[in-house]
Amino acid sequence: MISAVVVGAALVLTAILAGLLYREWRRSQDLRAQLQAAASDLEHLQRACSRLAPAGVVQRLVADGVQRDGGPVAERKVATAMFVDLVGFTAMSERLEPAVLVRVLNGYYQRMSDAIDEHRGQVGSYIGDGIVAYFGALQPNPWQCDDAVRAALAMRAAIRDYNAELDREGLPPLAIGIGIHRGLGLAGLVGSNDRREFSFLGSAVNLAARVQALTRVHQVDILVTEALRAELDESFILAPMPAERVKGFAEPIITYTVRGTLADGNEQATMKAL
Amino acid sequence: MAAALAHVAWEPCLVDAQRDRALESYARRKLGMPMPNIRYFAPVPWLARAMIDLHPEFGLLRHLDHSDADVIALVVSQENSCRFCHAAIRMMLWAQGLSEARIQRIEQDLSRAELPAKTLAAIAFGRAQSRVGPQGAREARQELRKAGISDEERKEIAFAVGFTDFSNRIHTIAAIPSHSFERMPDQIHVRLLRPLLKRIVQKHRFRGRETPLEAMPSYPYGGLVKAYAGSPIAPVLGRTIEEMWASPHLTRRCKLLMLAVIARGLGCEMCVAELGGALQQEGLDGAAVTQILTHLDAPQLDEIERLLVRFTRETIWYEPAAIQRRARALRDRLSGPQFLEAIGVASLGNGLCRMGAMVMDHP
Repeated sequence: MISAVVVGAALVLTAILAGLLYREWRRSQDLRAQLQAAASDLEHLQRACSRLAPAGVVQRLVADGVQRDGGPVAERKVATAMFVDLVGFTAMSERLEPAVLVRVLNGYYQRMSDAIDEHRGQVGSYIGDGIVAYFGALQPNPWQCDDAVRAALAMRAAIRDYNAELDREGLPPLAIGIGIHRGLGLAGLVGSNDRREFSFLGSAVNLAARVQALTRVHQVDILVTEALRAELDESFILAPMPAERVKGFAEPIITYTVRGTLADGNEQATMKAL
Repeated sequence: MAAALAHVAWEPCLVDAQRDRALESYARRKLGMPMPNIRYFAPVPWLARAMIDLHPEFGLLRHLDHSDADVIALVVSQENSCRFCHAAIRMMLWAQGLSEARIQRIEQDLSRAELPAKTLAAIAFGRAQSRVGPQGAREARQELRKAGISDEERKEIAFAVGFTDFSNRIHTIAAIPSHSFERMPDQIHVRLLRPLLKRIVQKHRFRGRETPLEAMPSYPYGGLVKAYAGSPIAPVLGRTIEEMWASPHLTRRCKLLMLAVIARGLGCEMCVAELGGALQQEGLDGAAVTQILTHLDAPQLDEIERLLVRFTRETIWYEPAAIQRRARALRDRLSGPQFLEAIGVASLGNGLCRMGAMVMDHP
C-alpha cells in the first residue's frame, strides 16, 4: 500500500516536473523566435540607415542612442574633404532614357562609394551627380591625406573599368573630376529636427569644391591643393598646375594633379613619359 | 539571447582550434569553468595565457566592484561590436542573476538601467577610453573625479576597459564564433544549471591583494606597469608584455612598429616618442621612423613589416566584417603562429595605448 502511494507520488512528481520542463522549453522557443524576429528587424533597420548615412555614423547613433538634441556631439577637427563630379552628365541625361540613366548613375555611385569606403573615407552626401566625401572627419586618421588620394586613384581605375562595361552596352563613357583639400572644419550631424546628415563644414570644404571645379579648367581628373600635397607620401607622382583665382578666396590657388604612385608599374612608365 | 549585436555581420572563423590540455586545465582551474575559445590561440602561448591571466575579476581588482567591471565590459564590447565578448559577458551577467530585461536596459539606454551614478560615470569613462582614446582622457578623468571615484579605482576601470579592448579585438579579428555563447541562456539545461553557474562564478572570483612589483620594467610600456605598482595588475601585465616581446613569431622590431602605428593612430605623442626611441635602438634611424609612421611605408621595411604596419592601422577603428576580410587576406601571407601573434600584438597595443592615456594622463 505504502509502496503504491510512493510510486503514485513519484509519478505525479515526474508528471509535474515534465510539465514544468515542457513549459520552460516552450517559453524558450517563443523567446528565441521573438529574438530572431527582433534581430532581423534590427538588421533591416541598420541596413536601411546605412543607406542614408555613413555606417560609422549609424553605429555611433546606435551606441549613443538617438537623442533629440542631435546625437553625437559636433567636433572641430582637421579633416580631408573630397568633391567628385560627373563631367558631361547634363548632356548625357538628355540623351539617355530615364531608366537607363538611373542604372548608369547607380553603378557610378556604387563604384565610387566602394573606393571611398575601401580607403577609410565616408560618403557625406550625394549632390545631384556629385559626391562629397570626408577622410578623418568621423574618427581621427593621421593618414587621411594618403587615404584620400589613394581613394581618388581607385576611383579613376573604377571609372576606367566601368566605362569598358558601358561601352559593351553601347552607352557613352563617364568622366569624373575630383578635388581634394585638407583643413579645419566642423564635423557632426547637421540639419533640421526631422532630417539630419553627417557633414564636415567650413572654408576647407568650400575650397575642395572650388578645386574640383578647376579640374575642368586644367583638363585633368584629380586635383589636390598645396596644403594636401605637403602631407602626402613622396611615392605619389604629382604635377603642378598654374595657380588660379577661385570664388571666395583672396589668393590664387596652387593645385597639383595626381598621375599615380611609384609603386604602380604602369605609373612608373607614366612618370618616365612625363 | 544576444540580440543587441545580432545585426553585426561576422565572417567565418579565420583560425583553427587546437587542443592544449595543459592550457585548458590552467584556465579551468583559474576561472572555474572551461574556456573553449583559448584553443584558437594555443599556438601562441603568451596570447592564450594573457586571455586567462588578465581577466580582471579573478584576483586583479582591489577597488572596483566586480559587477561594475562586468557592466563596463558589456558596454565596451557593445561599443566595439564584438559579438563573441558581448555574448560571453552577457552570459556571465545572466548566470549571476541579472534578468534579461535589466541586461537589455543596460544595452539600450543606460539612463533606464537603474545603475548608481558612480557606475554610470565609470561606464562613461570606459566608453571615452575605448572610443576616443587618449584625446578624451583628460576630460573623462575630470568627470570621474566629480563622481567621487578615487585614482586607484580609476586605474582599475582603465585596466578593465583596456583588457576588454584587447579581448574584443582578438576575438573579432579572428572571427571567433559566438553562437554557442549567444544560444546558451536559451538552452533548457543551461537554464536549469543557472544557480550552479552562479555559485561557480562567485566561488572563483576573488578580490586582489596588495602585490609588490619585484622587478622594475625597462621595456616599452614598462611605465604603464610601474603606474600599477602595488596592485596585483602590475606583475600580471608586466609578465604578459615581457612574454609578448620574447615570443619568436614576429621580430621585436616588427612588434615595435605595430605598437607605434597604434600610438600614432590614437594620437598619443608620449607613446609614439617611447616606441620611436625603441625603434631607433633596433637600427631604424629617426627619419625612417617618421616616414613609416607618417605614411605607413618606407624602403627599410621588410615584406612582413610592410604588411603588418598597414594591417595594424585597421585595428584602431574598425567594423567587424571589414577587419575580418582584411585579416583573411593577411592570413594567407603569414604562417599560422605569425598571424595569431600579429592579432595579439595589435590587440594588446590597442588596449595598452588606450589604458596608458587614462592611467598616465598622456596627451
